Amino acid sequence: MNFTYPKTPGEAVAGALKMFGESHVTATIWKLSVAALAASLAFVFYMLFTEGHAAFNTSSDGVNWGSAIATYVFFALTSSGLTLIASLSMVFGFKQFYPVAKRAIWLAIITLIAGFSVLALELGHPFRMLWAMPLGMQVHSPMFWMGVFYSIDLVLLIVKFYLLWKDDWDSGFSHFIGAASFVAVVLASGMLGLVFGSLAMRPMWFGSATSLFYIISGALSGAAAIVVSVYLAYGFDARKIPAPLRSLTLGDQLPKVFATLIGIVLVFLLTRIWVGLWSNQDGMEGFVALLHAPWFHLEVWVCLALPFLMMLSPSMQQEPKWQVTASILVLVGLFIERLQFIVAGQNVPMFKGTWMNGVTPYTPSLTEWMLVVVGVSTALALYALGERLFNLCAAPKECMEGAGQLAQG
Amino acid sequence: MAKWGMVIDLEKCVGCQACTIACGMENNRLPGENWQDVIFFTEGTYPSAQLKWFPRPCQHCENPSCMAVCPTGATYKTEDGVVLVDWNKCIGCKYCMVACPYGVRFYTDEKPLIAPDMRKVYPSKDDHSWNPPWKMPDAREDWKHGVGIQPHDVVSKCTFCYHRVSKAPPGTPDLDPQDPKLREFTPACVVTCAPGARFFGDLSNPESNVSRMIGDKRGVRLLDQLGNKPQVYYLTGVGGAVPSNRAIHKKS
Repeated sequence: MNFTYPKTPGEAVAGALKMFGESHVTATIWKLSVAALAASLAFVFYMLFTEGHAAFNTSSDGVNWGSAIATYVFFALTSSGLTLIASLSMVFGFKQFYPVAKRAIWLAIITLIAGFSVLALELGHPFRMLWAMPLGMQVHSPMFWMGVFYSIDLVLLIVKFYLLWKDDWDSGFSHFIGAASFVAVVLASGMLGLVFGSLAMRPMWFGSATSLFYIISGALSGAAAIVVSVYLAYGFDARKIPAPLRSLTLGDQLPKVFATLIGIVLVFLLTRIWVGLWSNQDGMEGFVALLHAPWFHLEVWVCLALPFLMMLSPSMQQEPKWQVTASILVLVGLFIERLQFIVAGQNVPMFKGTWMNGVTPYTPSLTEWMLVVVGVSTALALYALGERLFNLCAAPKECMEGAGQLAQG
Repeated sequence: MAKWGMVIDLEKCVGCQACTIACGMENNRLPGENWQDVIFFTEGTYPSAQLKWFPRPCQHCENPSCMAVCPTGATYKTEDGVVLVDWNKCIGCKYCMVACPYGVRFYTDEKPLIAPDMRKVYPSKDDHSWNPPWKMPDAREDWKHGVGIQPHDVVSKCTFCYHRVSKAPPGTPDLDPQDPKLREFTPACVVTCAPGARFFGDLSNPESNVSRMIGDKRGVRLLDQLGNKPQVYYLTGVGGAVPSNRAIHKKS
C-alpha cells in the first residue's frame, strides 16, 4: 500500500482519525469494524450493567464455560500460531517467510488483545485478577501458568514489533526477543491446552494430547489468518501484491505449510473421535453427541477436509481466490472446533441425577454472540489501524531484493 | 486438629429434602441454588426399576481439584479439613466449577432457576448480590470463609456450616445434634435431619462415631476412582446406592 506512515504518536492518532474520511479497502474495514465494535460493546455493557453475567446462557449445573471462553481460546491460539509463523523466518531462518513476519507479529498482538478483551468481559472480576493472580502464586494451577506465559508473550511481541518498527531485524537483541517469543508462545498455547487437558474428571479433554493439539491447531489458525490478511491488504487483487510477498503466497511454499497443518489437525480430530467412540470409558458419551451435531460435520468436512484438498490440488493451491476461501473456511472451522470442544467436554453430566438426565443443552445467548462480535471487530479494527499506521509489509532489505529476483525470475 | 467429615446413612435417608431447606435458610441460598441437594436417580428397567436417591453436599475432598486449579488461591482448605472460598479473592473464572467432579459449586450471576428472580425482588443496595429478609445476622457473615450472602460474580459452595463448626470445642470427636451442648456447632443439615441419617465428626480420630461407622458399615465415597478422596462417606447398606456412572448411555 502506498501510505505515508506516521512517525510520532500525534501523527498516528491523526492518521487513525483521517482514515474515517479515506476510501480504500483498509479504511472501509476500519470504519465498519469500529462501528461494529461500538455497537456490540454498547450492547454487551448494557446487558452486563442491567442483567450482569445472568445475560449468559451458561449455568452452574451444566455448561460453566461457554462461547466467550471459546472465543478467547480461538483468539489466543490464533495469536500463538501467528507468532509461530513469524518464527519461521526470525528464529528458524526460512527467509522466504520474512515478508509476512512483521504482519504476523502485529496480528499476533491484536488477536491476543481481542482474546483478552473478551475474557475480561467474561470474568466476574477482571480487575481483581490483576493483583490476585500475581499475589496468589498458585503454581499448581494451569490457569495461573497460562496467565504468566501469555503475559510474557504479549510483552515480548510488543517489544519485537517495536524493534521491527525501528527496522531492527538483525541485531542480537532482536534475535533474542524472537527466540524468547517462540519459547513463550509454545509454553503459553501448550499451557492453555493443559487448562483443559489436566482435568481427569472431564475425559473428553483429559490428556497431554490436548496441549499438543492446541499448539498445532493454533499454528493452523495463524497460517489462515496471515493468508487472509495479506490478500485483504491488497484488496484481494494478487497483481497489487509486491514481488517478494507474491513469490511466497503464489509459490507452493505457503500452500504446502498450510496443507500440512490442516492434515495434522485432521488427524488429531479424527483419531480423537475414534478413541471417543471406541472407548467404553464412562464420560466419553459426548463424542456420540458430537457425531450427531451438524456443526461438527461442517467443521470437519467443509471447513477442514475441503481446504486440505484445495491446498493439495496443483491447480487450486496457488490461486488467490482458493487460498482465501480455504483460509476463511479454516478460521470458521477452528472457531467451531473451539466452541464444540469446550462445550462437549462439559455437557456430559458427572453422574446420574435429578437435575440432568442426558447431554446438557447449551446455545449461546445474544449477549454471548455479541461478545464474539466484540472480539472479531476488535481484531479487525486493530488490523486496519496497523495496516494504515505501520508498514506491515516491511521486511529486511536484502530479503526483499532476493525474493524480488526470485519472483521476477 | 480435627479433620471434619460427614457420614450419610442411605438406608435411613428418606429423601425429604429437609436438609436442603435447612441449608438454604441457614446460608441464605437463592431458591434453587442448593449447596446441599438430594439427587434422585433410577437403576434398572421395568419391572425391576428402582428409584434411588442420595444427599449431595460439597464433598470437602482431601485432594480438592477445585483448590488445585484456582488461579488466585481463593479456594483453600482449612487446617480442620474444610474447603472454602474467599470471596475477596475470587475472580469468577469458574475454573473450580469445571474441575469439581461433584457439581457442588455455584456461580452467583446466572439466570434464576426458579421464578421470580429473588435478586430482583430483594435487590441489594451494597456489594451483596441480594438482600433477603431472612438473612443470617451480619455478625456471622464472613466473606473470607465464604459465609453469608455473597457478592456479585463469585463462586459459592457448602461450607460444612463453617460459622458453626469452627466454634466447636477443640478435641470434640463428634458433633452430635442430640447433645444440647454441641447442637449449635453442628451443620444445619445434620441438625435438621429427621430420620437421623447424617453424622458429623472428626475423621482423624479413630474413636469418633463417624470413623467407626465408616469402618464397620463399609462407607463408600462418590466417584472414588477420580482420587479426590471426599470427606463425605455414604453407608449404602442393603437398599442404598450412590451412582457409579453417568446419566446417559453411550450406545443409545
